[in-house]
Amino acid sequence: MDFILTGIVFLPLFAAIVIMMMKLAGDKNGMVIGIAGGASLLTFLGAMVLLVRFDSHHHGMQFVQSVEWVSMLHIYYKVGVDGISLWLVVLTSLLGVLAVYFSRGQKKNLQYFLALILILESGTLGVFVAMDSILFYVFWELMLVPAYFLIGFWGEGNKVYATTKFVIYTLVGSLLMLVGIIWVTVVHYDLTQTLTFDIPTLLQTQMPADIQFYMFVCFFMAFAIKIPIFPFHSWLPHAYVSCPIPALILITGAMSKAGAYGLIRFCLPLFPETIADWGLWIGTAAAGGIVYGAWIAVAQRDLKALVAYSSISHLGFIALGIFAFNGQGVEGSVLQMVNHGIIASALFIIVGILETRLGTRQLDKFRGLKKPMPVLYAMFMLITLAALGMPGLNGFVGEFLILMGVWGSHLLAGMAGLFVLAAGLAIVFASIYMLFMFQGAMQEPVEEMHDNVKDLDRREIGLLVPACILVVMIGLYPKGIVDRVSPAVDHVLHMEKKYKSLDADSGHGGGH
Amino acid sequence: MYSLSWLILFLPLAGFLVLSWFGNRMPKFIAGWFACATVGGAFLVTLLMLAQLYTENPADRLNHIQTLYPWVVSEGFSLNLSILVDPLSVFMLLVVTGVGCLIHVYSIGYMHHDKEFRRFFAYMNLFIFAMSLLVLAADFFFLIVGWALVGLASYLLIGFWTEKKSAVLAARKAFVMNVIGDVGMVIAAFMIFEQFGTLNYVDVFKAAPTAFFPNDDSILLITFLLLVGAFAKSAQIPLHTWLPDAMEGPTPVSALIHAATMVTAGVYLVARCNALFTMAPFTMYLIAAVGVITALFAGSIGMVQYDIKRVIAYSTMSQIGFMFLAVGVGVFSVGMFHLMTHAFFKALLFLGAGSVIHGMKDEQDIRKMGGLRYAMPITFITFLIAALALAGFPLTAGFFSKEEIVMNAYHGQYGNFVFWGLAIVAVGMTGFYTFRLFFYTFMGQSRTPEAHPHESPMVMTAPLMVLAGLSLLGGFLGPWAHDFLSPVFGGALPVHHDDAMLEIIAVAAALGGILTAVAIYMTGKDQLAFAKQMLAPIYEALFNKYYVDEIYDFLIVKPVKGIGKFMEERAEKLGIDFSVDEVGRQVREVSRGISFWQSGKVRLYALNMVAGMVTVLLFVIFM
Repeated sequence: MDFILTGIVFLPLFAAIVIMMMKLAGDKNGMVIGIAGGASLLTFLGAMVLLVRFDSHHHGMQFVQSVEWVSMLHIYYKVGVDGISLWLVVLTSLLGVLAVYFSRGQKKNLQYFLALILILESGTLGVFVAMDSILFYVFWELMLVPAYFLIGFWGEGNKVYATTKFVIYTLVGSLLMLVGIIWVTVVHYDLTQTLTFDIPTLLQTQMPADIQFYMFVCFFMAFAIKIPIFPFHSWLPHAYVSCPIPALILITGAMSKAGAYGLIRFCLPLFPETIADWGLWIGTAAAGGIVYGAWIAVAQRDLKALVAYSSISHLGFIALGIFAFNGQGVEGSVLQMVNHGIIASALFIIVGILETRLGTRQLDKFRGLKKPMPVLYAMFMLITLAALGMPGLNGFVGEFLILMGVWGSHLLAGMAGLFVLAAGLAIVFASIYMLFMFQGAMQEPVEEMHDNVKDLDRREIGLLVPACILVVMIGLYPKGIVDRVSPAVDHVLHMEKKYKSLDADSGHGGGH
Repeated sequence: MYSLSWLILFLPLAGFLVLSWFGNRMPKFIAGWFACATVGGAFLVTLLMLAQLYTENPADRLNHIQTLYPWVVSEGFSLNLSILVDPLSVFMLLVVTGVGCLIHVYSIGYMHHDKEFRRFFAYMNLFIFAMSLLVLAADFFFLIVGWALVGLASYLLIGFWTEKKSAVLAARKAFVMNVIGDVGMVIAAFMIFEQFGTLNYVDVFKAAPTAFFPNDDSILLITFLLLVGAFAKSAQIPLHTWLPDAMEGPTPVSALIHAATMVTAGVYLVARCNALFTMAPFTMYLIAAVGVITALFAGSIGMVQYDIKRVIAYSTMSQIGFMFLAVGVGVFSVGMFHLMTHAFFKALLFLGAGSVIHGMKDEQDIRKMGGLRYAMPITFITFLIAALALAGFPLTAGFFSKEEIVMNAYHGQYGNFVFWGLAIVAVGMTGFYTFRLFFYTFMGQSRTPEAHPHESPMVMTAPLMVLAGLSLLGGFLGPWAHDFLSPVFGGALPVHHDDAMLEIIAVAAALGGILTAVAIYMTGKDQLAFAKQMLAPIYEALFNKYYVDEIYDFLIVKPVKGIGKFMEERAEKLGIDFSVDEVGRQVREVSRGISFWQSGKVRLYALNMVAGMVTVLLFVIFM
């Protein structure tokens, strides 16, 4: 089974290459879709195999495969999953299937569009499974390339501006991260005289106190921009509004999680002392983002912008939970990553469906769609309720655990009450803007009937059904997910430092 | 036997699922009775639980916990989905499923012509499920889940007629106000977890008396946050504005959710957490004060409204105020008793109003009714019984429960003269607005001759008659209720205070209110024109509900929207976004400047090299 992860990660990439090489005579879109769909489905099945065979009691990496890549620098191709990345792999592969199937509606250059979607999927999966920091970085940048073209070519509105801003902004972060990655290896080399980019080994290195802050900033900027954490979010509304919806499913559902994943994977274990010093400030930014995004979402009329700003708010929850720096907070964050991936992608699919039916996303332009679209009505309602955090559905579980973690957090102790209040305000706002969106679109009498408005067809129902099922299932039985996450989270939070400089102990007394 | 308690949750849930998936393939007849059967089944199981409780000693009746499945385990926090069967939950469930079942039956007649008959019953079953979950929860987490789910069911049913704009808005308002309450309760749950390390009722309540000193900051804050939830759900000041608007829903919904069961959940919460609240006497005073003020406030508005359902809605607010007064002064079982009798007569009142609306072809303005006593005799009689019980006419159900409340407002542990005095005024108001409504609707002559009111079918009048019987005789259940509930409240029975003077004043107030209404409205004509002119400012304030909606709109709704817009346009576009773009622009400017040095002109490069070498040379020589 050593090859399973490699198979999962490279299958979409391989399919993408095949698709791009194909010479299409006439209209053979069907074949392209067949290949892409088959590859993404196989990937998803592979992820399911992972899920079934995963040993939930084990905290370390599983399904590890390791091959020497650049022997001179001791760079390895090494992949593996633990409880944290497992769910993100499953999520990404699921969203990959949805994205490919939702792409059918794409008229322009479907062949390359699908290929790029698949590359994006590969890159994201790679980030979640990479165990070598250089490999991590390669996949990290691999995510960016297709996203750039997807927004720039197939986008709408001010797409060139949006994609340029998105790419430059994230590139600034990721270059800093590259510096950080090399720096960590150098520190490790200084201590042990061995050159390695192996992430689990590096994580056990005690970073010197005097430079820890600067190293932290290198990593943190990359991840904070990717999630994004307020106030580094300004690329997001432009990129989301311009982005074609199939790509958006992956970008919002999976790629934004890469940032949060990086925070948990690198920042928490590597820089606990810096986080102890600066966690309160980051928490403040995250909590600020929660309210800020929600408040702006209340004022939006464009459905896509509304979901985009609500995403800023929900992603703020994830960041806040991570910096609670305790079990409930981080586990809640991982759960919320999965939840947000499901909910936000489903919301964007719904927005996409409405847009194809009505030709507009402006909330003022349509209402009363319940009558012609009863099936969409039911599914939209369920997703809306999950998004606004209705207890009994999945969103609430994540938010509850996160806020519980924040409340009991030592790191955020001084401000915990304020953060929870801010989050509470955002939850109230969430119910306002989500109901505004749902009721505004689906309820109230229709002035003139849209004749061409048909209810969902089978394919569209198929796109929304997984989300609907998961929303209920996770809400009813979150234990299934949390149980697999918690050993890994405990391991991250209580990581022992094997490699310390001798004066680190004395020099670093009880200062923090 | 207790192991069957999950059926109480399962039956209505199954009803909801079956009706929402297969409802459209079922004939109306079957769908309607199926929904009733699930609730009836839950009622029977509840009776079974009651019987089982009676096989045990009173002291052993507490803490029967059934664990269904483990829900989540996270570092130091584990939670099971479990059910708590004890006298309080069984008592509450008897009301919920019993009255709920009657209202389901009634709805078969009332909703008969509605196109979305099955969806209605699916939502009603969802409500019964959610309410049962709220009541049966064995910990604060599932209490919150049930709490929010009843809010959801209420939202769905208020906005049941989705093509009616006012209903859609009312539903959203109810939902958002309830979310405010939910947030309060969630934070309370965090504090409880921090304090006790668990969310289970049993452990929390056992530890509570030793965990705090009375009126500790933390216990005050916990109880206050719980109250935010309770007041939002039970429409107490200042979170009450959603309830009158909630009357946009179908009338059986108003009867079930917005009168008999859901809105009384706040009282249930205080009774359930009595171990916490008794540790916080300040909060108890707050509860009693808010309760009695709401009773007065809502009663005074109810005196001047003309929409039949709104009058009853304000009356509901007012009566829940009485219940909060009761639990606030420390007599929890009296509050629960009034909750029960109120469920009987208020459900009856709403169903009677529904019958009137049904018979008048969806007319709700009492000024257009009148003289209905001939056309609708059964509705007339049962409505009269309900009105008498609501007004507290001697020997009806409302008389017993309200008399105990008024008495304890003075004699109770936290009672005093002020609470008592205000309660007496509210009692008088109750008599007045109830009979004003009654006379407007049933007495005098019809004011819309073209209407042809008719009595409702048997399926609607039968529940009316059952409830009328309960409203007449339910008062005699008082001693049983106190005795049955006493283990939950520490084994103490409420003391019966023999204070003839107070009793006479209370009865006199109720009768006085009724008689005033009789004097003014007996003929069915409005003889208040003169008084109305004299008291115009007060009347205006009452008629416009003290302008609370307008004040909220001005103080909260508008600023929230305005700030949202402002943040988008200023902070976002001109602040953060602009500054990021500006960084990019500056970098480009700088690089444009630098690019001068990399122009590709070899002569310039050579010149630069020479200049550089000269500089270095000069540097080496002279330094």
